[in-house]
Amino acid sequence: MNTILKTGITLFLICALSSGLCGIVNSITAPLIAANVEKETLEARQVVSGGYEIGAGIESDDPLIASIMELTDGGERVGFELELLGSGYGGEFTIIASYLLDGTLLEAKMMANGETPGLGKKAEESWYMDMFKGKGGDTPLPGNKNDLDDPSLVSGASVTFNGVSNALRYGSEFVRNFKEV
Amino acid sequence: MASHMYELKKGIFKENPTFIIMLGMCPTLGVSTQVSNALGMGASVLFVLFFSNIVISMLRKVIPDTIRIPSYIVVIASFVTIVEMVLHAFVPSVYAALGVYLPLIVVNCIILGRAEAFANKNTVLDSALDAIGMGIGFTLSLTLIALIREIFGAGTITLFPMGSFSGVITIPGLSESPVRVLTLAAGALLVMGYLKAFFQWKTSRSEKA
Repeated sequence: MNTILKTGITLFLICALSSGLCGIVNSITAPLIAANVEKETLEARQVVSGGYEIGAGIESDDPLIASIMELTDGGERVGFELELLGSGYGGEFTIIASYLLDGTLLEAKMMANGETPGLGKKAEESWYMDMFKGKGGDTPLPGNKNDLDDPSLVSGASVTFNGVSNALRYGSEFVRNFKEV
Repeated sequence: MASHMYELKKGIFKENPTFIIMLGMCPTLGVSTQVSNALGMGASVLFVLFFSNIVISMLRKVIPDTIRIPSYIVVIASFVTIVEMVLHAFVPSVYAALGVYLPLIVVNCIILGRAEAFANKNTVLDSALDAIGMGIGFTLSLTLIALIREIFGAGTITLFPMGSFSGVITIPGLSESPVRVLTLAAGALLVMGYLKAFFQWKTSRSEKA
């Protein structure tokens, strides 16, 4: 009994000290990490805006859309920029995507993700989103890799592709059906 | 004093973790596509190895034998978490480049191997020196592989941007027509194989002498 108690207490103390140390470092680094993420998001928003002005933010109560920004041209609304939440092979990811009012995808950029380098991580490259750009309005967005001209581009990372496609199609549908509250 | 120096120097060549002991192959092959990644990974492993070896050596008489491996993993995982947070906060580009390999340091065979084979049985000073030597040996090996792969595979040397320096040195001639296979997984294995053969030849030559 004594051995079990001693072993348990030792392991507990090691865990408690380790998590305490991590907590201290986290309290120092968390604000810097948040600032980095914010800066990265702002830069991505500018790139994804497709040359349009980023207007006012609209509150989102949709669990798959973290934020909604209006895209304007000369003060007139032309589309939306959405921060979409999706799920791939490496867990949850975030995509910033811009759409015209008819649901056509203008630009998209993969942000935070846990995809595998060399496979799902390809979604971070610009050519990857080119497969979706200009679609979602008259032409439907590809729903699976067989809808692509060259399915081999995403071979080995179908789960990521489906996750990206689902998120972008959800965004397109959302923009098409958007109604001001 | 001589034995302390031996503990420090052995990891650099004689017991090099990559080319002689052949530990930590996964990150070695995975992140050696760019010199900056290799330096970032090497520095991270050196940091984790140094502190985990010290803590494990300090606690070697306190930790019961039955729970030593879980205890080592907790200690190592804590230092890896700290490295992740620090890199994410101060060098986000290296944090992004190292990606999944960073949390995988927890299960890097070099770190757990040195904890079990050395820090568990030796003094704090020797364990710290062993960690520095092994960490430097790992960093040098990783950087050497990355240097060869990046120079011949991409025609560049990627370091860290500083002031007006973009961080990328372009090598004329090679950047226009690089040997692309070296940047791929097969290239990593090829370079690793040739370097291992070279180290083997060098070791056997010095043993004969």
